[in-house]
Amino acid sequence: MSSAGTKLETQSPAAPKAMLRALLVEDNKADAELILREMRKEGFEVSANVVQTAAEFRRRVKEESPDIILADYNMGEWRGVEALEILHSESLDIPVIIVTGALGDVTAVECIKQGATDYVLKDGLARLPQAIRRALREKQERSLRRQVEEDLAKKVDELARSNADLEQFAYVASHDLQEPLRMVAAYTQLLGERYKGKLDENADKFIGYASEGALRMQVLIQDLLAFSRVGRKEACESVDCNAVMKEVLQTLASGIRESGALVTCTELPVVWADRTQMAQVFQNLIGNAIKFRGKEPPVVSVRAEKQGQSWLFTVSDNGIGIAPEHVESIFVVFQRLHARTEYPGNGIGLAICKKIIERYGGKIWVESQPGQGSAFKFTLPGHEPEKQEQTHA
Amino acid sequence: MKAAPEVLIVDDNPADVTLAREALAGSAHHSRISSAGDGEEALAFLNRTGTYASMIRPDLIILDLNLPRKDGRAVLAAVKADPELRRIPVVIFSSSQLSRDISRCYELGANCYVSKPGNLNEFFLAVKSIEEFWIGFVSLPQRGE
Amino acid sequence: MSPTEVDILLVDDSQEDVALTLHALRSENLASRVFVAHDGEEALDFLFCSGPHSERSFDHPPKLVLLDLKMPKVDGLQVLKQIKGDARTRTIPVVLMTSSREERDMASGYDLGANSYLQKPVDFDEFRKMVKLLGLYWLVTNQAPVSNGKAQAAKQAQ
Repeated sequence: MSSAGTKLETQSPAAPKAMLRALLVEDNKADAELILREMRKEGFEVSANVVQTAAEFRRRVKEESPDIILADYNMGEWRGVEALEILHSESLDIPVIIVTGALGDVTAVECIKQGATDYVLKDGLARLPQAIRRALREKQERSLRRQVEEDLAKKVDELARSNADLEQFAYVASHDLQEPLRMVAAYTQLLGERYKGKLDENADKFIGYASEGALRMQVLIQDLLAFSRVGRKEACESVDCNAVMKEVLQTLASGIRESGALVTCTELPVVWADRTQMAQVFQNLIGNAIKFRGKEPPVVSVRAEKQGQSWLFTVSDNGIGIAPEHVESIFVVFQRLHARTEYPGNGIGLAICKKIIERYGGKIWVESQPGQGSAFKFTLPGHEPEKQEQTHA
Repeated sequence: MKAAPEVLIVDDNPADVTLAREALAGSAHHSRISSAGDGEEALAFLNRTGTYASMIRPDLIILDLNLPRKDGRAVLAAVKADPELRRIPVVIFSSSQLSRDISRCYELGANCYVSKPGNLNEFFLAVKSIEEFWIGFVSLPQRGE
Repeated sequence: MSPTEVDILLVDDSQEDVALTLHALRSENLASRVFVAHDGEEALDFLFCSGPHSERSFDHPPKLVLLDLKMPKVDGLQVLKQIKGDARTRTIPVVLMTSSREERDMASGYDLGANSYLQKPVDFDEFRKMVKLLGLYWLVTNQAPVSNGKAQAAKQAQ
């Protein structure tokens, strides 16, 4: 109520009008009023409750979930820090500002350590609104961060589950498909052998197509199974790529011999990976280099260079090359650029390489021009993450 | 072994039984092949009960694992637990390559374990090898002991 | 040859037969992973990782034991009984190879759980043929069990 001549002016330069639910722990009515007045002066629209015992405090705080708590430090049997204990036991995150008559420095620090956001002296209440604003802002930031983390955790969970489902599906599909397929492949082949020339002229051809189709499907499914298995978490270890290369060259020995290929490699590093998967990568890349050769015998070179903490591997050849518009799609499962009659294979080798390399956090790509050979490049971390310091040249 | 060797194939897939017969068709051992399509039929055959009263005990059992009614492992266990049957060699012939299946069969007393190959020629070779080894080379206890 | 790489444990007290067996296995490239024990006691030490073979582990059993019957110290049937009587070694395939033509021995062998029983042919060539086929069958056609130690661990993990 204003009396004539006086104008009530609320000076709130920076403070927006904010609805605030406060819970005061204070046994002195006058002090409580002072506190609320100070808050309203600075533009807070406060709706407050005042309690005086721990039990009342616990009840109110649970029922009403206030935005802020202002607690006296010394109040008969009550110590301000009790509020913090009670909040902690109820798992509530509400900012607490100790508003008190006298507070030694040591006690003040103790309060902050126990979790109080701030403390304000009763004869310095001018500081209170600023303290409140800061406390509320920090609370908001905390809540936001918590929400983001929860969302992320949920997404990661969903993704993991979806991945597991997919792998399971691929495995079961490939596995269960193999039995009936085995029947078709076996019997079309048997038919072809037993009745060759004994039925009409088209029969041999028809049976041949069916048989080839079945055999191809068998290989496709085995490849799919292999591809789906790459997803499994394999144990990593220090792998000497030179030793792996030796084994791979032995596996490819007959292909190398038949094509007259020359495969060279520089000194290769030790990497942190799964040995079998490394062998798969080298075998696929070198095998491809030999397979997709031009008129001359294939010349394949393998080398590695250090790039910071990782290694950059290059497998280059003098083969038929790849057109720029296809350099991405060749890494897609079952994507083939040539007819089966020109070059054999299912188109899964590069997809497997990509899956493996990317599991280790590396990248794989190709630099090539038609008729000018290809250079397949991939990166790999050099060592187990914690052991970076032990790198030797 | 003067009489023709008797082989019992236990497999619920008639296509695989036929393939096995085809594989052994030209063999010099002239084995006589009988077959049972599920575990219970297999045991009735071996115990010579009911309609199988006049059957001859086989010299070799080729046993698939995933069978209806009574599965291969149960048949294996029953055979190896029976003093009248346990000397008959049991060769597990299954598409499963799971190591726990393999180990389990050995624990139950399987004489050996051969994986069914996916390729026709290899399948024939596997069946022929089984017959060659067990009928051709191994000394088997007299039938009916 | 490291202790982990033995495929075949050949147990035979006859030098001649051992030589012949190794020769036949060599022709199929199977001889580099053969360990020869000359009597039952040595065979048991090898399989049970004891005595001079205590550096061996149950995790790497041989894929096949070729066991003669008539041997000094501990004879074949005794060895067989111990192998098949212990959970750690029970699943190792054991093939009895003997010159004995006694029906009784064969019956006992099968009763004790021998995986198969072969009578050594008297003829050199037949002997070699048998060993070749044996090696191929048990090391190539057959799937040996995973070591029992690992199998037990896997079972517990399920």
